Amino acid sequence: MSNKYYEFFCPVKVIAGKAALEHMPYELSGMAATRPMIVTDKGVRAAGLLDPVIAACEESGLEIVSIYDDVPPDSSTAVVRDIAGVYRSEKCDSIIAVGGGSAIDTAKAVNILVSEGGDDIAAYAGAGVLKRPLKPFFVVPTTAGTGSEVTAVAVIADTEKHVKLPFTSSFLLPNAAIIDPRMTLTLPPHITAATAMDAMTHATEAFTCMAKNPLSDAYATAAIKKISNSLLAVMDNPKDADNRLELAEASTMAGIAFSNSMVGLVHALGHATGAICQLPHGLCMSLYLPYVLEYNIESIREPLGELLLYLDGPEVYAATPASRRAEASISAIRRMRDALYKHCKLPRTLKETGKVVEEQLERIAEVALDDGAIMFNPKEVTLEDAKAVLRRAWA
Amino acid sequence: MIAKRIQPMAFQARRLYVELMFQVMGRALQAVSEVDATVQKDASALPEGFLFEMMVMPQGSSLIVEHVGNGRFHYHGNSAPRPVDLSIQFKHIAHAFLVLSFQEKTSVAFANDRMLVDGDISYAIRMTRVLNRLESFILPKLVAKRAVKEYPTDLHLPEKLMSAARIYLKVASNFVETVRA
Ligand SMILES: [Fe+2]
Repeated sequence: MSNKYYEFFCPVKVIAGKAALEHMPYELSGMAATRPMIVTDKGVRAAGLLDPVIAACEESGLEIVSIYDDVPPDSSTAVVRDIAGVYRSEKCDSIIAVGGGSAIDTAKAVNILVSEGGDDIAAYAGAGVLKRPLKPFFVVPTTAGTGSEVTAVAVIADTEKHVKLPFTSSFLLPNAAIIDPRMTLTLPPHITAATAMDAMTHATEAFTCMAKNPLSDAYATAAIKKISNSLLAVMDNPKDADNRLELAEASTMAGIAFSNSMVGLVHALGHATGAICQLPHGLCMSLYLPYVLEYNIESIREPLGELLLYLDGPEVYAATPASRRAEASISAIRRMRDALYKHCKLPRTLKETGKVVEEQLERIAEVALDDGAIMFNPKEVTLEDAKAVLRRAWA
Repeated sequence: MIAKRIQPMAFQARRLYVELMFQVMGRALQAVSEVDATVQKDASALPEGFLFEMMVMPQGSSLIVEHVGNGRFHYHGNSAPRPVDLSIQFKHIAHAFLVLSFQEKTSVAFANDRMLVDGDISYAIRMTRVLNRLESFILPKLVAKRAVKEYPTDLHLPEKLMSAARIYLKVASNFVETVRA
């Protein structure tokens, strides 16, 4: 009898492509929502990204009742409470999050408060606390990387108690994710590169870590193929809407993959580095990915070798002997990083970031060892192992 | 209930085994935290008075230990003196049996969604490391290799033999004490 077992779940309707935003009024009315609130940040508003969202709704006679555009990069319980207050006083009945990871996480938490009641979001922290569906909730991602539109998790900082509160429930998932190429068209090159490499890492770790399964594998490989084919094209021509859409789709697909099969050591190191050195998440992912794959290689030779087909295409895959495909996959990722370094100086080593000093490596390793992602890494990691990976990633 | 009529003995035995294994592990956790520096190092990062629970859903057997400081654990049996800080919950007794009979590694069980974590994930990671270490102490090497992702290389035979013996001894005497009390 096989020892295999897995679970796979993604109830989010994906609405993707040309004029996708214009589908939102219909989707909202399908859930009897007539008074939506937009949750977003100043950057999104300044970039003019709200205009097409608002226009799409108003043209259909759907009024956006309230816009909260002050979500900070690291959202907090106080912000969540404020937004829930506005939602209530304006008698809203649904939420549209427009933005990246922070705006989406904040909106998820706001949805808990306005659906379940109360002002204390901390009371709902943890896993499985929520027992019923929340208010109608839509997400319009403006970065192509985090995959937050399809994850059942939100993390909100409790600034008074200095802890990060995790919320896990399938009820946090939005009813729909709207992926419209207009939303990522103006993303600056270094953010495009870093967020795409975050998605690449989600897919690669989903495909090589312990909870991989046939369904998440399908999403992961498709995402890697799209990123490999489209990322450099977008870097050359940022206004390339077709390839922008490919990256946005890949990000959502990679999100579906990793939310069902988890991530590993790249994320553990990345979370630690982000917290200690204040480096952006996507940058850390791009930086650590090849070094961690090298560390894991003997445990993941087969799946990693298989990825060569999606990274480099059928000709290269066929021409590479099976025993060398795992190494060839790592080389393909390194080539992509070199190209991104040329384009926008996306760092490939800790030294190249200019923001990390060698003395911090010990602390990064310690914090990484306590990160949840390390549980699913295919190879056991000791403190010495983590430090060795960090030293290789140094320069 | 129909299933119960078909295999009553097997179900009963599995339940008893899980209960017994929780008791052995609870006592062993306390014992190993008194002799092993690696476990002490991992455990000492937990807050003092930190209560850890492993249980079977919905309200089945459970194991509760408290971090009493300096990396030492105290075994509380199956009832907690106050709400626990971290709970690892098996979704079904069958999943608990798979893990506690060392047919499924703890990390694989997490990956397979066999259990839920309620509490701080980083503490759960620490406790998983402690449990892995414990398993490699109290089990014969061959079985331990199956139970943990990688068998620790710094666990040489004499150290293992001696510590395991000490732990078995402590577990045994603890049992006797309980019976007397
Ligand atoms: Fe990520």
